[in-house]
Amino acid sequence: MKGIVGIFKDPDQLLHAAEQVRDRKFKRFDAFTPFPVHGLEHAMGLKRSFLPWVTFIAGLTGLAIGTGFQIWTSAFDWPLNVGGKPFISLPAFVPIMFELTILLAGLATAGVMIITCGLPNLKAKIIDPRLTDDHFALFISSDDPLYREAEISELFKKAGANEVRMV
Amino acid sequence: MSHHTHTEFQPSSVRSMRFSAGAKSTLLVLAVIGSILTVTALLKQPARAWPNFLVNYFYFLALSLFGAFFVALQHITNAYWSVTVRRFAEGLMSYLPVALVLGVVLMFGTHHLYEWTHTEVVANDHLLHLKAPYLNMKFFVVRMILFFVIWIGLGLKMRKNSLAQDVDGDHKHTLANVRTAAVFLPLFGISFSVASFDLLMSLEPHWFSTIYGIYCFAGLVFSGFSLLAILVIYGRRQGVLTDQMVNENHIHDIGKMMFAFTVFWAYIMFSQLMLQWYANLPEETVYYIRRFNGSWWPYFWTLLIVHFAIPFFSLLPRGVKRNEKVLFGMAVFMLLAQWMDVYFLVMPVFFKDGPVFGWIELGTFAAFAGVFGLSVIRFLERVPAVPVKDPRLSQCLGHAQ
Repeated sequence: MKGIVGIFKDPDQLLHAAEQVRDRKFKRFDAFTPFPVHGLEHAMGLKRSFLPWVTFIAGLTGLAIGTGFQIWTSAFDWPLNVGGKPFISLPAFVPIMFELTILLAGLATAGVMIITCGLPNLKAKIIDPRLTDDHFALFISSDDPLYREAEISELFKKAGANEVRMV
Repeated sequence: MSHHTHTEFQPSSVRSMRFSAGAKSTLLVLAVIGSILTVTALLKQPARAWPNFLVNYFYFLALSLFGAFFVALQHITNAYWSVTVRRFAEGLMSYLPVALVLGVVLMFGTHHLYEWTHTEVVANDHLLHLKAPYLNMKFFVVRMILFFVIWIGLGLKMRKNSLAQDVDGDHKHTLANVRTAAVFLPLFGISFSVASFDLLMSLEPHWFSTIYGIYCFAGLVFSGFSLLAILVIYGRRQGVLTDQMVNENHIHDIGKMMFAFTVFWAYIMFSQLMLQWYANLPEETVYYIRRFNGSWWPYFWTLLIVHFAIPFFSLLPRGVKRNEKVLFGMAVFMLLAQWMDVYFLVMPVFFKDGPVFGWIELGTFAAFAGVFGLSVIRFLERVPAVPVKDPRLSQCLGHAQ
C-alpha cells in the first residue's frame, strides 16, 4: 500500500492531526503508536466495532451447546444415576455452561478479529522502527479519493510533524 | 471531548454538594415516621421487628463500609480516575458512627435473633455447646467493638487526611493515606468477613459456609458502586460536578464496576450453592431447605433474576454504562435488589412459609434510609465536592476512556 506518512514526536500532536484528517473526510488512513493513546479512536472518527456482537452471539451459542449437550448425555444418551439426583440437574451443569460460554465467546472474538484485521500479514512494510519506541505516525493511503500529496504534506507539517515522507 | 485542551481548573470554583430541599425533607420524614414505626414495632411485635432491624442494620452498614473500602482501594492502587468521585465515598463513612450507636441498640435484640444466646438451648445442644467459646455474648460484643475501632479509626483517618489536604495541599496526606490503606484493607477483609459471620451467619448457628464473608462482600461492592453512581449522577444534575470534573468516562468506570460485581455476586452465590447441593450433607443443606421451602422458592428465583439476570443483560452494552439516565435507574434497581438479598439471608430463619411484607418492613427500612441519607448529606454539604488539592486531580480531570 502506498501513501504519505507524517511522523510525530508527541501523542497530542498526533491526536490533533488525526482530528484534522477526520474532519477533512479522509477515509483510508491509519495511526501507528507505540502504546495505546487515549481518545485516538475518537479523534480518528472510528465507529464502534461490530466485534462485541460476535462475542455476544458466540457466548449465547456456547451457553446453548453447553446446556444442550449435557442434557442430552446425562438424561437421554446414557442416563446415569448420580447420588440420587435428577438426570437433569442444572446446578451440576452450570460450570460447563459457563465455561463453554466463555470459551466460544473468547475464541470467536479472537478469531474474527484476526480475520477482519487481515492477519497474519508478513508482507507489510515497516514504516519506521521508531514507531515501536517513542514516535507516532499518521498514514494516508494513496487510494483515498481525496489524496493530494502537497496538501496532506502541508497539513502534517502544520500539525507539528517533524518528518513527512512517501512510503 | 478534546481532553488535551481543557481549560485551567480553578480549585476555588469547587462548591459543596447541594441536595434539593425536597430530597432532604423526604429523608427527614422517612427518618421520623420510620423511627416511630420501628420503635412501635420493636415494642409490639419484637419477633418480626428485630429481624427487620438486623436486615436494615447490615444493609446500611455495608453501604457505609463500602465508602471506607473504596477510599482505601483508590489510595493503595494510586488510582487517578476516581479522585473526583472519592469525596462521595468519604461521605458514606459518615454513617459509621451512627451504625456504632445503632449497634448498641441491636444488642437489646440479640435474644430475639440469635439462638446461641439462649443458655438453656446451648446447654442441651452438643454442637452449640462446642461453639460456645466463640458464640457467646461477651466475645460477640468485644468483636463488634473491635470491628468499629478498625472501621471508624482507620476509615475516618483517611477522610481526615483528605480534608486536611483540601486546605494545605500537602502531598504527605496522600502518602499517609496510602500507608493507612495498606493497613486497613487486610483488616477490613477479615473484620467484614467475621462481622457477617457474627451478625448474619450465626442466625443459623448449626450451619456454616466459609465463603459467606465473600458473598456478603460481593453484595457490599455491588450496592456500594450503585449508590456511588446515584450520588455522582445527582451531583452532575445539581451542577456541582462540572463536565470537567466528571465526564462520561468516569460514569462508564463506575458502571463497569457495577457490572463486574453483578457477575461476581452470582459467581460466589453459585459457588456456595453448588458445593452444598452436591455434597448433600444435612448440616449444610438445612440452609437451602429453609430457603427453597414454601413461597421462598419463587422468592429465590426472583432474586436470581433481579440480582443477576436483569443487571447483567442491562449493563452489558457499552452505551448503557455511559448513559447517566439509564445507569441512574439501574443503580436504584440494584440497590433494591441488594436489599432483597440481605432480606433473603435473614428472614427465612424466622418465617418458614415465605416472605412477609408490611408496615414493619417499610417502616424499618424508611428509618434506616432516612438516618443514613441525612448523615451522608450533612457531611457532603459542608465540604468541597471534590478533593481540590489532591496531587492526582489534574490527571483525573478530563479523564479519557
